[in-house]
Amino acid sequence: MISQPTDTPGGSAHPWPLLFPRSSLIILLFVFVLLFFLLDLVLGSVKIPPLSVISIVLGNGSGNEAWDKIVSYIRIPKAITAVIAGAALAVSGLQMQTLFRNPLAGPSVLGISAGASLGVAMVMLASGAAANSFAVRQLGLGGSWLIVLASTLGAAFILLVVLAIAVRIKDNIVLLIVGIMVGNITISVISVWQYFSEPEEIQDYLIWTFGSLGGVLGPQLLVLAIVVGLGLVISFAASKSLNVMLLGENYARSLGMSTLYVRVTTIAATSLLAGSITGFCGPIGFIGIAVPHLTRSMLNTSDHRFLMPCSCLVGAILMLGCDIIAQMPGSQTTLPINAVTALIGSPVVIWVIMKNRNLKSSFA
Amino acid sequence: MKKEILQIDDLSIGYQSCSLAKEAKKHGRKIRSKVVADKLFLDLAEGELVCLLGPNGSGKSTLMRTIAGVQKPLGGHVTLGGRPLERLSAKETARLLSLVLTDRVMTGNLSVYALVALGRYPYTGWMGSLSADDETVVRTAIETTGTRRFAHRHIGDLSDGERQKVMIARALAQDTPVILLDEPTAHLDLPNRIEVVRLLKQLAREQKKSIVMSTHELDLALQAADRIWLMSPENESVTGSGVEMISGMPEELILDGRLEKAFKRNGFEFDRTSGSFRIHHQYKGSVGLVGEGMLAYWTKRALERIGYRVIDDASLPFRIEVSDERGCGLWHCFDDECRGAVEIRDICGVINHVKPKLSVSTNAP
Repeated sequence: MISQPTDTPGGSAHPWPLLFPRSSLIILLFVFVLLFFLLDLVLGSVKIPPLSVISIVLGNGSGNEAWDKIVSYIRIPKAITAVIAGAALAVSGLQMQTLFRNPLAGPSVLGISAGASLGVAMVMLASGAAANSFAVRQLGLGGSWLIVLASTLGAAFILLVVLAIAVRIKDNIVLLIVGIMVGNITISVISVWQYFSEPEEIQDYLIWTFGSLGGVLGPQLLVLAIVVGLGLVISFAASKSLNVMLLGENYARSLGMSTLYVRVTTIAATSLLAGSITGFCGPIGFIGIAVPHLTRSMLNTSDHRFLMPCSCLVGAILMLGCDIIAQMPGSQTTLPINAVTALIGSPVVIWVIMKNRNLKSSFA
Repeated sequence: MKKEILQIDDLSIGYQSCSLAKEAKKHGRKIRSKVVADKLFLDLAEGELVCLLGPNGSGKSTLMRTIAGVQKPLGGHVTLGGRPLERLSAKETARLLSLVLTDRVMTGNLSVYALVALGRYPYTGWMGSLSADDETVVRTAIETTGTRRFAHRHIGDLSDGERQKVMIARALAQDTPVILLDEPTAHLDLPNRIEVVRLLKQLAREQKKSIVMSTHELDLALQAADRIWLMSPENESVTGSGVEMISGMPEELILDGRLEKAFKRNGFEFDRTSGSFRIHHQYKGSVGLVGEGMLAYWTKRALERIGYRVIDDASLPFRIEVSDERGCGLWHCFDDECRGAVEIRDICGVINHVKPKLSVSTNAP
């Protein structure tokens, strides 16, 4: 039974398993991202031939000025926003699920999205301050700096509250419950505020909650990309520690890992990712919970060094797909993105869970 | 002289509870803490397998956690690899000491190989990539624990016994001179228990690992351990925490009666000759037994099970003689009235028949 380790790759009855998933899968995901990106550019309320779209993307122009403008100033930024949002939400959901060892955790679980909503609600529902409302109207809703600033501050405030609690609590499950409760408090504050607000203001706020990938242009897109990029770098750097977290906090500590450090970095990364996306695009649900499950069952691994990049790709694909559907190709109407993500994504997740049945045992 | 890897010097373990501290402050007293055990002097040599015994709540886990550096001691010192534990960083400790806990790791998509590879955490870079050397250590750990057969399987699909061996492989991959195991044989059936203990013994012998395992299996511990650490609660303690630590070679503890004494205090009768517990200590009477060897031993076991004290004395009014007739047992009962050959299965019946006489005549010790 006891034998010296022999190097007989493939030749033994029990070949050593590979730690790396097949790279062909990652290449396939990349191809899908490109495909969906192009589809997102091509399909829309205005019919533009695919070849013209490609020529515009390549910088040659299509000869039709209207088409050039539509693709360059509306469709390309929207598709890029979709990719960024999908990747950011997927990675933050993955981190939360591992940190809390809970399959239902997502980017919104610690009240970060609720905090962003609170910030936005403060701007939009501040019934006494007419100037604010006026300013909001003037700047337009989708990507106004004021909205972005308000939601970032709101998310940061809730984040600080949760972090202050996180360094005092030893148990991650207790932290999870506290986070959910903080989120609930935030949401009820918004409800009270809505109750005392004018109908038009409530309407503005409600439209924001439907979410929108459009309207993030030029400098805003740059800021969003930088913030999300920073969040992704922090998340990727935490991959090794998150892998150890799979063993539970006690084993993680015995391996010399500082659980507090991991907790603080993951919460900070999540709030950068989820907070900025909520600020620029509104609260987009579902992607953060669904994509990690999809990725895990696709890759059949728990290794975050692969789950992280693949979640980015899967998140981008799903978000682009949802955006394509939200535009209702061939019609003039668009659906709110937040409704589409859940409408399309939920059946997908149900299908994956029914097919694999290992979701239940994915977490303790 | 063996090399000491772990020294425990006047260690006091327990909890420094916040609520206790607050309450103490309110009453203007000194901060109080709950001492689980104190005045602990222990050491662990290279290649030694120690079994930590003690009833539930005696502080085994607290001691383990304190040695592992997870919990701060209330006083005293732990020296690990020649350096005080409190001076070691978490990473340095992780290279000297590994743990096998009772926590269940149930992550679905984690393969056995990947899990064992996580043991390399203290040695790998920021991305956790395994070098060729790391890979070799992981594979050796899997080979040594005999888990190669299911190295590709997911941890959630393993049986309890298989999972425990995988967790030991993970500790081996951590490549530490000291391994602490918290009840590694709990929830396992007998063959798996024996296999786990045999594996640990082999690691101590061949790889010079110093192993401390807490367990409730006294017989297994007495057979396997190089040394026993027994935490026994004192009933009438005047000073200290009320937990006495007994440490020594198992045979030494049995022969000098310390083990018997420790268990007797807790209402158990430990039989020095057989190395096991007596369930009955209220005897209905005494029976003399003449004979030797395996036959006598199991006859004695049968008599004790039905509640009779067995005395090696042929002068008692009722006695049984056992002799070996060409490999078969021959039992003879001697009494005023009855006398004759019986089978071992009839002994109970015979004794019940003469029971009134036994209890009257021989109940005096």
